[in-house]
Parts: sequence; C-alpha cells; structure tokens
Amino acid sequence: MKKLEVFDPPMCCSTGICGPGVDPTLVRFAADFHWLAGQGLVVERFNLAQQPQAYAANPTVTAALAQYGNRCLPLILLNGAIVSKGCYPTREELAHMTGVE
Amino acid sequence: MTYTDLLGRATRILFFTGKGGVGKTSLACATALVLAESGKRILLVSTDPASNLDEVLGVELTGQPMAVPGAAGLCALNIDPEASAKAYRERVVGPYRGVLPDAAVNSIEEQLSGACTVEIAAFDEFMKLLGNAHATSEFDHILFDTAPTGHTLRLLKLPGAWTGFIATNTTGTSCLGPLAGLQAQRSLYESSLHALADGSTSTVVLVSRPEPSALTEADRTRAELSQLGVSNQCLILNGLFVAQDQGDPAARALEARGRQAVEGIPAGLAVLPRLDIPLLACAPMGIAQLRGMLKPGTISSFTDFGAYRVPPSAIPLSDLIDAIEAAGHGVVMTMGKGGVGKTTVASAIAIELAHRGHRVHLSTTDPAAHLAVTVGEPVPKLQVSRIDPAVETARYTAEVMARSAAQLDAEGIALLEEDLRSPCTEEIAVFSAFARTVAEGEECFVVLDTAPTGHTLLLLDAAEAYHRDVARTTSDVPEAVRHLLPRLRDARFTRVLLVTLPEATPVHEAARLREDLLRAGIQPFAWVVNQSFAGSGFRDPVLVERGAREWPFIAEVRDRFSSRLALIPWSAEAPVGPERLRRLANSRAGTDAEGADT
Repeated sequence: MKKLEVFDPPMCCSTGICGPGVDPTLVRFAADFHWLAGQGLVVERFNLAQQPQAYAANPTVTAALAQYGNRCLPLILLNGAIVSKGCYPTREELAHMTGVE
Repeated sequence: MTYTDLLGRATRILFFTGKGGVGKTSLACATALVLAESGKRILLVSTDPASNLDEVLGVELTGQPMAVPGAAGLCALNIDPEASAKAYRERVVGPYRGVLPDAAVNSIEEQLSGACTVEIAAFDEFMKLLGNAHATSEFDHILFDTAPTGHTLRLLKLPGAWTGFIATNTTGTSCLGPLAGLQAQRSLYESSLHALADGSTSTVVLVSRPEPSALTEADRTRAELSQLGVSNQCLILNGLFVAQDQGDPAARALEARGRQAVEGIPAGLAVLPRLDIPLLACAPMGIAQLRGMLKPGTISSFTDFGAYRVPPSAIPLSDLIDAIEAAGHGVVMTMGKGGVGKTTVASAIAIELAHRGHRVHLSTTDPAAHLAVTVGEPVPKLQVSRIDPAVETARYTAEVMARSAAQLDAEGIALLEEDLRSPCTEEIAVFSAFARTVAEGEECFVVLDTAPTGHTLLLLDAAEAYHRDVARTTSDVPEAVRHLLPRLRDARFTRVLLVTLPEATPVHEAARLREDLLRAGIQPFAWVVNQSFAGSGFRDPVLVERGAREWPFIAEVRDRFSSRLALIPWSAEAPVGPERLRRLANSRAGTDAEGADT
C-alpha cells in the first residue's frame, strides 16, 4: 500500500484558521488531503510546531531542512521519497503523483 | 453567617471570585491565614495574569508552592501565564535544539508564542492543581484567588467546553492548536470537572462590594456557575460602611448608598449564606494587617494628617477631554485594574464629547461589561456597542465559510466547519472586531472601555504576534488588522488613559500596565485617579483616614508616572445616566484639607 506523508511548516493548526486571515490554500489542501485518505492510501500529516519528533526521526526530512531551510516545507514524501517541496499541490497533482484515478 | 461559620464550612477547595477591586485577594489571603493559624496546611493560588498576591503577602512568589514568612502552614504560588507558556515552549522545543536546524527550531518557538499558547499553558497548570489530587496531597485546603470575573468564567467554563470539544472531534486533524498535546490528559480534565461540581469538595465564595453593579455581576457569576453544576456557593459583602459621624452628610450619603444596594440585592444572592465585612480605613497589606481584617479594630489607628492635600497639579477630567477634543477624531482607551471605574470614565468622556457636538462610538471588549446600563438612555450623536464574543465568532465563522465554500466539496466544508469550532476561533474573531473598531477612529471619536488588565495585555500581545504574522502570511488579511498596531502606537491617534483608584494595588497594577504599554511602543496619554475620598470633603474618621492614606499614591502617580493627572472626587450619586456622567466629567476636587486639620 502506498504511503504519503506531508511535513507542514510550523503552524498553529493544519487548516490555518488561526492566522489573522484564513489561508485559502490551507483550507483547500485540508480537504484534498482528507479526500486522498479516502482513496486507499495511507496518509499522514505532521506539524513542525507540534510534532518536531517526526521531522527529527526522518533522515530525508532533516537532510532537506539542513540543505534548503524551512523553505522546503511543506515537504511531501511518497513511500519515503520526496515528491514535492515548498508548496501544496492541487488535487489533480496529488492524484497524478500517487497514481490515484 | 459569622466568620467562624465560613471557616467551618470550608471545603478542600475554595474559589474567591467577583468583580475586579472588590477585595478578592485580601479576603482569600485573610481566609488562608486564619485557616493556617487553626493548624491546617494551606495552599493559596493566584490564577490572575495581573496578580498582586506578592504585594499583599509581602513575598515574591513563583509557580511553585512557597512558604509565606510569618504565617506558619501557609504556602502560596502564582500561576504566571507567560512563565507557564515559556516552560511549555521549552518542553516542546528543547529536545530538538541541535537536532533540527536552528531556523526550524526558531520557527517552532515563534509559532508557539501566540496568545493561544499562553492561555492554554496557564489552563494546563490550573488543571494540574485542580484535577490531580496527588500534586496537592500535602495540603488540607487549596484557595484560588481567581482572576476578574470574565476571565474566571472562561477559566471555569473551559473544562466543559474543551472536554466537549475533545469528545466530539472525530477527524483528529482538527485545530486544537497547541492543545493537541493535551488530548492525553482527558481523564485529568474529567476529574477537575467532578471536583468543581462536588459541593463537599469545592466552594465558590462570591465577593462583592455593596454596590449595584458589583452585586449584579456576582449574581451573574452565581447563575452561570449554577448552570455548570457548581451549586455550593456563599457570599462575602466587603466594605459595608456605617457612619460614625452622623453629622457628616457625605458620610451618611455613602452609608445610605451601601444600605440601598444591600436592600436591592438580587434574589439569587439573597438566599446564599452571607458574611459582612465592614469598610476598613485602608486596604490590608502584609500579614499583620490581613490578620486584622477579620478581627476589626486591630489595625492601628491613623493620626498623621499633616500631608493631607489634594495635589495642586490634579486637573478635572474635562481638561483631558479638551485635549482629546482638539484632535477632532481618534481612539481613546481606558485601561486599568478591574473595578477602578474604566467603564465610568470611558462613558463620561464619550458623553461629554457627544454633548460638545462630536460623533462618538463607545464600545468595549470586556465580556462582562455594562456600558448600556452606565449610559442609561440614548444620547444624540453617541453610538453604544459591545464586542460580543459569541456574535463575533458567529460572524467570523460565516465569513470564512462564505469565502471558502466555493472551492470545497461537501466533505471539505464539513471538515472546515469542524475546525472552526475550535477554541482559537473566538480569540481571532474578537481580535478582528477590536481592530475594526479602532479603525473607525479615522472618521469619528472611538472610546473603548477595555477589559481588565490581563485580558487587555493578551489582546495587545496578540496584536504584536499578528503584526509579525501579517508580514509573512499569504492569506487574506483585513486592512483594519494590518493597520492596528501602527494606529495604537500613534500618540496623535490613540490616547490611552490609565485609570486607577488612589490605593496601592490599583496604582501598582496600572504602573505595570504602563511598563507593558511602553514596551509595546505605546505611550499613555494621561492618568485618571477615580473615586478620590481626599477631594470629597468627608469628616467621618474612617473616611478621613481613607482620604489621608490616598495622598502618597496620588503623589506617586504625579511624580513618577505622569504630570497629566486628572482626579475625580468620590460622589454620593451613582455615576449612571448622561446627566450624572457629565457632572462627573466636570467635577473638581476641593482642596478641602480642613476636614482633616480640625
């Protein structure tokens, strides 16, 4: 089974509703992520502000952070390999990179 | 009920609550002291972000129980929300220093420095004391000197709200913000709720002055707590005055005002066990005076009236209003400890400005405010409103849903709806409304009666955090929010009035508030000393002594903090309604030293 992991930048929460204004990208991605979970993938999402352990424990993630800094976040891994850096893909892009129809 | 009765009823946990300035801290300290002297082991806890427990007990407290010198068996601690938040941040971030890149670690720290984190960290500390019997097992009684009422209610209500929230959160990805780490502590929250509602464990001591507004607020607290299942309550009426000199008309008026308030006591309060404490000539400071509070007559009598003069540089409030009026528009904010009369001063300024022909918007961020009652009736050119958290939250939620719905499917909408039920939403919503109200000051006069000190600070703190956020966020930031901090810092636009009573605690709290404002780049415009007995011509010995004891505090304000100092003399009439408020704005303190000299 395919496994998709999203390493978010440090945030109060994953929909970004806690900022001074709501970031529409975050709202959209929260819904897309939820949709992906319903397509038979194992999906996990981490927040640097709340789960730094997940970042520290993953050598691919720590290497990317050391090389690019926080700019590489959000970092998306498919089966442990980086498939996207520094942006939230659209639902079509997510479907394409995970092979979901 | 006598004091012995109150002590006999003392359950393991006692909460002291009431409007700011009613004497909660003094009475919590005095009760703790008497219980300790009866051989019990006592823990006294302050949960007020602007606590003055240190000053009253005469000892510097920390977040850990500390023995109070001169009072065997009494320990005290301060839940300092800032310190709790810092400790919480360090617990999260500490293990990753040197493991993750510095930039990543710094960004986590910054994310955890918002107002949410402060609130949640303080809440967590409170829960530990309340819910974890083991953490407090060495004490027979735990007394909470709780924060001013609005804050208290939030603190006491949160366990209910959040336990409910945790129970109904199904996706697990929702916004619990920094609370996410606390899901594991659900059982702790549940036992806290149990302890609160169990009358054999917890008592709520409602403290009030014999004044209608304080009594109304005490009754509101009583009703809300009863609804939460907290029914073991009693009432302390603090500061009942009986004139010793019946030939002093002002003293008789003060006595009559108290008596009327007691006669009109709300029905819900009237049935509670009640203890009356007489008006003391000074607010008790230090162990010896606290001991005296419960044994009247033991505080040494005051005889040195030599320095009793109204400061010659004190001006009437109307002089400040002249200066405010000259700008033509802008924001006026009244700040200070709860109960000093911020609402009165704000209303008086707003009404006077409106009377002089200006368009004025009078509003408040205080959840327990009563502006409409103070203003009394419609005034031409004056708009009165309040920033209501429930209304603002509903409005904000609707706005976000409307903006986002187009790009979401049904499932996405459900997800967002669930997220918006998080505790953070209210905070953001209230903040946006505050920014919007301040923005109106470009067009007319906006007078803001702000909430008690701690809450106000959190608001300003949030302003600072948002200011930083705004610079980097990509989201849709309202214009009012972007301009908020620059507006607050513009001394020609925003005028902050620090309101105080001429007593140690409110003066020192206002001084701390001033420091915080200066740190945030905001220079207060003036100070207002409210309800001064010194300028009111009393002859009654207790009131003359109170007046005489004001002098050092008025001088302290004038000499150390501000040469622009307005003084409002105590008045026998309740400051309600446009006519009386205008009289108050224009009242001038007499240099009536003769009452003291004779």
